[in-house]
Amino acid sequence: MWIRLWTLIQKELIQLLRDRRTLILVMVGSAIEVFLFSAAVHTDVKNIAMVVADQSRTTASRQYLDAFTTSGTFDIIGDVSGEQAVVDAIDSGQANIGIIIPPDFSDQLEQGRATVMMLLDGSSSYTTQSAYNAANSISQQYAVSLIGQQASSPLMLHTQILYNPDLIDLWFVLPALMIFIMQALSMNFTSLCVVRERELGTIEAILVTPIRPLEFMIAKSIPQLLVSFTTGIVFFIEAVFILGIPFLGSALLLVVVSLIGILCGLGLGLVISTAVQTQNQSYQLSGLINVSAMFLGGIFYPSYTLPIVLRWLGYIFPSTYLVPIVRGMFLKGISPLDLWPQTLAMILLMIGTFAIAARLFRQSLD
Amino acid sequence: MEINLQRLKALTRKEILQFLRDRRLLMLILGMPVLQLVLYGYAATLTVYHLPMAVVDQSNDTKSRQFIAAMVNSQYFDLTLRLDSQEELTHAIDLGQAKVGLMIPPRFATSVDKGDANILLYLDGTDSASVQSGYGAAALIAQNEATQLQAWKISHLPPNSTSDTLPVTALSRVLYNPNLIDIWFILPGLVGVVLQTLAITQAALIVVRDRELGTIEPILSTPARPIEILLSKVIPLLVLCFFALMLLVGIGVFWFGVPFRGNLLLYFLVALLFIFSSLGFGLLLSVRANTQMEATQYGMVFMLVGMLFSGFMYPLSNMPLPLQVFGSIFPVTYFIRISRSIFLKGVGLNFIWSDALVLAAYCVVIILVVSRVFKQRLD
Repeated sequence: MWIRLWTLIQKELIQLLRDRRTLILVMVGSAIEVFLFSAAVHTDVKNIAMVVADQSRTTASRQYLDAFTTSGTFDIIGDVSGEQAVVDAIDSGQANIGIIIPPDFSDQLEQGRATVMMLLDGSSSYTTQSAYNAANSISQQYAVSLIGQQASSPLMLHTQILYNPDLIDLWFVLPALMIFIMQALSMNFTSLCVVRERELGTIEAILVTPIRPLEFMIAKSIPQLLVSFTTGIVFFIEAVFILGIPFLGSALLLVVVSLIGILCGLGLGLVISTAVQTQNQSYQLSGLINVSAMFLGGIFYPSYTLPIVLRWLGYIFPSTYLVPIVRGMFLKGISPLDLWPQTLAMILLMIGTFAIAARLFRQSLD
Repeated sequence: MEINLQRLKALTRKEILQFLRDRRLLMLILGMPVLQLVLYGYAATLTVYHLPMAVVDQSNDTKSRQFIAAMVNSQYFDLTLRLDSQEELTHAIDLGQAKVGLMIPPRFATSVDKGDANILLYLDGTDSASVQSGYGAAALIAQNEATQLQAWKISHLPPNSTSDTLPVTALSRVLYNPNLIDIWFILPGLVGVVLQTLAITQAALIVVRDRELGTIEPILSTPARPIEILLSKVIPLLVLCFFALMLLVGIGVFWFGVPFRGNLLLYFLVALLFIFSSLGFGLLLSVRANTQMEATQYGMVFMLVGMLFSGFMYPLSNMPLPLQVFGSIFPVTYFIRISRSIFLKGVGLNFIWSDALVLAAYCVVIILVVSRVFKQRLD
């Protein structure tokens, strides 16, 4: 049996190596993704374009507007006449926020009841949320400074951000992305490789030999395990040595948990392969599963914010367990044993998917 | 580049039949937009509420309880753990039992009266959601409390709402999406991302499949010209993508209640330009790719690029210039801008004509390039 298995694995490896272009595409693609993400991910918004309709044109109104420009959050890109002009500027996308200061602003201010109007572009999410919070807080601070002059605040909130003091987004994103890539690769590729044989008809030739379904399954998985694992290593090296993300845990244990995660992905891939007939179907189904994993598997959004039913669905993805473990290993320096419930759940998931895959696989081949 | 309509009709019919036969694939393809809408509608929130919070209250007086209550009432935090020391607090965050830790030092009420009260907030820096939402919310709550106290001290008025006592009030109005509902922001962009991925990968896969299975040879040996073969493959996909578009818009508007304020006909016309140019991209890819596996890899890259550099998730204006240029290669970047404008702002052609013109130019260029490349490749 071992000899047969070994020959089969050899065949798969040769086949994998022959399609160089796909292999290179997978490796280089994942490697480039790290840099793409590192360049794209900026959730803090600066220099939001702002138009102003200053109908007062007094020292008071200019001081009020100065509070906005000096904050660095807003760039005043234009001075317009009135509300309609502000709405037009937002409609055409030139500005994301507009402020209208009424003609009698400085008189109102002396009476202590000045009102300004802010208009915000509600069609682009990140900018709106940040602009809304920042503008209100700037205005409030300005108001307090008027009445209190330099009075210090009676209540101070000191915030300490543990493990990522400068709030670098990449530190959150990359460990999760690494898991996502390994999971997606192991799942999609395994399923594609099996279905490919079926679509091209080459599976028949293998089935007439004494090879058993289980051996076929193992032989198909091993090259994918190597590809996913190598990609993970490339990713890790880039993240830690090029982008400088701290890794405080044990590298050996990271290898162990990653392998368990990849095996879960392989098992899921084998299960998928039994449900589809063509590579196109397999690609579409994997796409559905990948997108679900991004949302439900704790990669983009933490799973505790999900409605309960969706949280249950998330439990079938290895990333649900792997993301907290690996993020913790990167930034907190914990060991997988600290999060033993997650580690245990992942091992059970691995055994479970392989058992199901083996069963379905035998049926689908017979 | 003459086209024989009768031949084109026959070829297109064959492709449509082939498509309809594979029901499972059709369902999987149309499942994607539905799934994404459901996930974005129900699972994803840009603001995270109910963060699990651990509290160490060393004062346990009225003022400290009042502050904790203000945190919990904001809906941003759930009080899940009460602990006794700072070590326990950090340990709880280490293990992920709490995402936020709040520590109130002894004699809080007295220090508030004296005006030098301090509160310590710990945030789990490994969890972006907790940090971004938690930090903003806690800072705002603390500032509100402080402003109220301060205004009260200076004016000796009862500490009710700050707006009565402050000399400047900012009234803000969010245009187009007054309640800041996430799915309203997301849907117009999602249409672009889903359609581009679908169009590019399906166009590439369908042509490559014929080549991989060898079924392209019999078609080539007929009098059909390359351009006719290509068009016959593109037309069913165009219909399919358009169907997916209607599915997205329909579910978004009727199920999630996203308002559609612009001209629907104009929207569909621009969308057709966009779908057509994306299909052209897919055909170009099919020239490069030899196997379906390779084509799917390209498809994944395009999905990622579409999400990251189209302005869907992160505003393009925040990125370095080379990436902005990179983002503007893809039709989706223009379509998302148009989609947001027509959908939520309800503006007309006079506001979007430049982006629409780019998409139209795309279609022309891509037809020319594809028909040229294909002639070479097939001959």
